[in-house]
Amino acid sequence: MNAQSKLTKIILDHGTGGLLSQELVSSFITPIFKETYLGKMEDSAILNIDAKTIAMTTDSFVIDPIFFGNGNIGKVSVCGTVNDLAVSGAKPLYLTLAIVIEEGFLLDDLKKIVTSIAETAREAGVFIVAGDTKVVRKGEVDKIFINTSGVGVFEENATKFTMSSIKEGDDIIVTGQLGNHSIHILSMREGLGYESRVLSDCAPLNNMIVNIVEKFNSSIHYMRDLTRGGLGSALNEISEAIHKGIEVKLKDIPIQHETKMAADMLGVNPMYLANEGNLVIFCEPNITNEFLSELQKDKYSKNVKVIGKVKVTTENKVIGLDAQGNSSIIEHLYGQELPRLC
Amino acid sequence: MRKFAILTNDLQFAAANKHEERKEQVAKFLPKQSEFLKKMREIGTQVIHLQLIVSEDDPRSQGIPNEQKFTKGSKGAQLLDEVLDKKDIVVEKPKDSGFFNTTLDDELKKLEITDVIITGMQTQICVQTTAADAYFRGYKVLVPSDGVVSTRPEDTKKALEWMAGYCAKIMTLDELYTFVKEELRK
Repeated sequence: MNAQSKLTKIILDHGTGGLLSQELVSSFITPIFKETYLGKMEDSAILNIDAKTIAMTTDSFVIDPIFFGNGNIGKVSVCGTVNDLAVSGAKPLYLTLAIVIEEGFLLDDLKKIVTSIAETAREAGVFIVAGDTKVVRKGEVDKIFINTSGVGVFEENATKFTMSSIKEGDDIIVTGQLGNHSIHILSMREGLGYESRVLSDCAPLNNMIVNIVEKFNSSIHYMRDLTRGGLGSALNEISEAIHKGIEVKLKDIPIQHETKMAADMLGVNPMYLANEGNLVIFCEPNITNEFLSELQKDKYSKNVKVIGKVKVTTENKVIGLDAQGNSSIIEHLYGQELPRLC
Repeated sequence: MRKFAILTNDLQFAAANKHEERKEQVAKFLPKQSEFLKKMREIGTQVIHLQLIVSEDDPRSQGIPNEQKFTKGSKGAQLLDEVLDKKDIVVEKPKDSGFFNTTLDDELKKLEITDVIITGMQTQICVQTTAADAYFRGYKVLVPSDGVVSTRPEDTKKALEWMAGYCAKIMTLDELYTFVKEELRK
């Protein structure tokens, strides 16, 4: 029996680089990853990449609470990075995983989180190739923080989705209901009563993206993962970058009834709430109907809706039209709508 | 047949005495609330107090006197004498909604309650979240406009409008008493 198997909690010695650290990684964490782990426990992972162009991204996850109704920080830390790679048009391939754990953290909880990382990586078809585990004293982090960095490859002739491809007249599509992740997490944190009605949308979207890119390729001009800042911030950033106006029909924005209830109660706008499995896509209008039909078939985008258009204007404003046709400006979000959601 | 229960939220020493503005609002609210509970008990309505209890290591419990704490056994966590009766049920809760990680739903089901009358403080936090949660769980929700309280009356007004729009019937305490009495006669 090794020293690890007698412990139920993380202790500082798990992070010293000594025998206990080694056992934590080699006997506890990596066996859970099974075939999704390609690391060799060396200073760096040496990988073959058969591509001329790669995409890289990194993200840190500090979500509170770390366990929620339909997921945990492990799932979010894979989905966030996989989705960031996939929306650029790259095929997500490799992830690194860095975990900072607070002394006293339950090993059973760590097992659940690592299991979730493995399951999500398996679904997304990505491999964990390198990792790092640090342990800090009580109070120096809140339970567990995770960073994942990812590498994706562009296959030959693959479309690279950048904002400069967006054209006037493009339809703007949102793949799911806005704000559910934020409301679910906040409800779990504060006990607001919505946690079983509104679930997080956290999901790896790369398989859905591959499918639509294969079918619609260059008719898709741009897509973005609607994480922190939500749709409102994303549209403002895009409008500013492309120097064009964006017009959105407010009644067409997909929002679950209970999410609207919660947002009204909290005085927040679902437009700015973070999502973890929701995209905004800009596409040529002539493919929109077929595009929607295809997206509706996928479990992660069955609530897809067309919400607006890129306008023939150089005024870079995001305009919301209500059911009566009255217009209002959708402003940039100043600061953070709600903290520690991802 | 409809069966009613009254839920009170956070009618506890620390919440009622948080600061002068709160004390002032609670002082206006409490006599009528107390009278309402008494009358409702007389017609057989179960009163359930939702008592906020937080752990000793909760940041809200640190560095404050005992009468301001919501920890188990603290003076601050005690329910107000004016609202408590020995026949009442007390359900401890850790967060805003009275249903979140508590035995409330089980208690209500055991009593075969169909309608919950949600009272107490603050209207825009615990009352509102408990009302939404009760509605999601299939209870009919009734909220007395003068049986709820916030530090700022405008917060109560806004929360009542929200509940009326989404999940609750709003009446005064007097109207509610008459309504329940009539229903129980049926």
